[in-house]
Amino acid sequence: MPLLEVTGLRKSYGGHVAVDGVDFHIGEAETYGLLGPNGAGKTTAISMIVGILDRDAGEVVVDGQPLDVTSVKAKALIGYVPQELALYRDLTARENLRFFARLYGLGGGGLKARIEEILGIIGLTDRADEKVEQYSGGMARRLNIGIGLMNRPKLLILDEPTVGVDPQSRNSILESVQRLAGEGMAVLYTTHYMEEAERLCDRVGIIDQGRLRAEGTRRELVGLVGETDRVTMRAEGDLARAVEDLEKLPDVRRAESGDSQIELLVPDARTHLPRILETVAAAGAAVRTVEVREPDLETVFLHLTGKALRD
Amino acid sequence: MKILVIGLLNLRRLFRDRSNIFFVIVVPFLMIFMMGLMFGGGQPHRLGLVGGDGGPLAGRLATALAGREDVEVVPMATEDEVRTAVERGRVQGGVVIPSTYDADQRAGRQVQIRYMIRSNDMRALDVGTWVRSAVPREAALLRAARFGAAEGTTTFDQGLQVAQRAQVPGVEVQVTTAGRSVFPEGFSQFALSAPPLLLLYTFLTSLTAAIGLVETRLTGISARMYATPTTAWSIVAGETMGRLLIALFQGLLIMLGSGLLFQVRWGDPLAAAVLLAVFSMIGAGAAMVMASLFRTPGAAISLAAILGIGLGALGGTMVPLETFSPTMQTVAHFTPHAWGYEAFVTLVRHGGGIADVLPQLGALTAFAAVLLPLGAWLQRRAITR
Repeated sequence: MPLLEVTGLRKSYGGHVAVDGVDFHIGEAETYGLLGPNGAGKTTAISMIVGILDRDAGEVVVDGQPLDVTSVKAKALIGYVPQELALYRDLTARENLRFFARLYGLGGGGLKARIEEILGIIGLTDRADEKVEQYSGGMARRLNIGIGLMNRPKLLILDEPTVGVDPQSRNSILESVQRLAGEGMAVLYTTHYMEEAERLCDRVGIIDQGRLRAEGTRRELVGLVGETDRVTMRAEGDLARAVEDLEKLPDVRRAESGDSQIELLVPDARTHLPRILETVAAAGAAVRTVEVREPDLETVFLHLTGKALRD
Repeated sequence: MKILVIGLLNLRRLFRDRSNIFFVIVVPFLMIFMMGLMFGGGQPHRLGLVGGDGGPLAGRLATALAGREDVEVVPMATEDEVRTAVERGRVQGGVVIPSTYDADQRAGRQVQIRYMIRSNDMRALDVGTWVRSAVPREAALLRAARFGAAEGTTTFDQGLQVAQRAQVPGVEVQVTTAGRSVFPEGFSQFALSAPPLLLLYTFLTSLTAAIGLVETRLTGISARMYATPTTAWSIVAGETMGRLLIALFQGLLIMLGSGLLFQVRWGDPLAAAVLLAVFSMIGAGAAMVMASLFRTPGAAISLAAILGIGLGALGGTMVPLETFSPTMQTVAHFTPHAWGYEAFVTLVRHGGGIADVLPQLGALTAFAAVLLPLGAWLQRRAITR
């Protein structure tokens, strides 16, 4: 049974359809990315999934519990990290954590220990009693994530958590998410950064104009749009013959030589690479370097929507 | 429980900011002190006087005018100077004794003493009463002296001395108030200023606290709270309680503080507490309504100031309601402040109890019954939209 099941999610504002029949699911310990440009409907979809926005249609089920804006039980299973820094800036990190913990129903002796634990996870133990307004952007971002972890959620939902963050903090956030996912937490992660989706997510849903255009693993998505890997080899010897032989291999779409190098297009190059190298060597050419460039999600997005992610 | 957690957080945040401590605690007490001095009784009155050194008789009149403990006579050179002083509020009244005063009195001619006040200065009325009593008393002595001189039994000056020494039994005047006295005997000036300022500030603080609500929504904190296992109504109730606690805290502080510092007696404690609670609910309701109308704190703070001060002024919390024209008094009762003012007048000045303020409590409850549910409903809608 999936941990999160989203079916037919739909929301419109007047005549504008923000989310249009979105379906996907997330399994236990899976990291799922919703990749799309700004205005694609990611935040609207997330808002409906966490139960802060009424939906026009569709269903959200978390660990077997139906979830809507009135649900209390299902919301307790989710940790939500909004895109904004939803923190009281005039309170300290500890006070922020305690306040939201109380809203999650935590209390008693375990509360203090949990706060200390979270402060350790987000690396703010030393500055826990300083007001948030004295924090750097990266520290505030970490606290923003920490609050989402207070209730030991089964599913952590992060809505573009690295927007406006410096590269160092960004890397730290991505590492934290990877670590949490590694510990078995299911993660729903929205972003418009292709690299983040590629780095973090087991599966990615590509969303544009409120619709989920495609979903799957990175490899599946690339395969879906028929994109191939590009292999570039620097080599010496009879390159023309090598190209001739390479073109005869199954799956090689195109091969050409020039200026001490051979270039060929092939799906799933990593699988075919030993055979390719054997063929080149048999043709009397010596390979010095090999570079494999796989098509990225940016390419997939471009193929599916006709526009770049940052358009 | 979660409602209390949210409510108490609001109170904690209010006092985190030192400027809030100044505006919520210090400023009301300063205003009570200042307004008490401006509108209350008991403080010295200043009376500008021209011509007091124009002769022995003019000097006698000047001495007579200075004969009340709380009236300070300020000698001035010209009529223009005294007029300017009255206009600028440096003195509460001005008396002009003509330069021919002595000669005219001795000759038995009529003398005009000019008295100047600002028509809207309540303290000038008190000074005027004193001037209108001191001048005729001196005039009576002069008339007696003139009568003796005219009859040829004595000279004017001897007659004046005799009249001065004469023990004429006075007329005993017994004062009874028909209906209810506006300012009862022994009423302290701070007891006049404290109740309306309590109304003004609790309402104003509630409205300005609405900015916090707008910010909470704007920064996504409301949404985040709603993403926890907390119902929308619990969040709304918690935020409402926060506003209510802030208003109650400030109101109680003004009541207790003014009692300790300025000896203000607030009357029946139960009635005063109920009044404060109902009025705080109105403030909380108004804050919730206002917060739901704005998306940015800037617009909210502008309207909070306009409404908080405007309604307060209209409701008699800055200038006593009793000084309003009948029409303006009617208009004032469209604000909760006027009802609150009347109720506190009954409690503080006339020792009334809860039964005596039931009509005002009824009107205030009606305000609260409209504003609180409306504010809560609008807030809930603002959180989930």
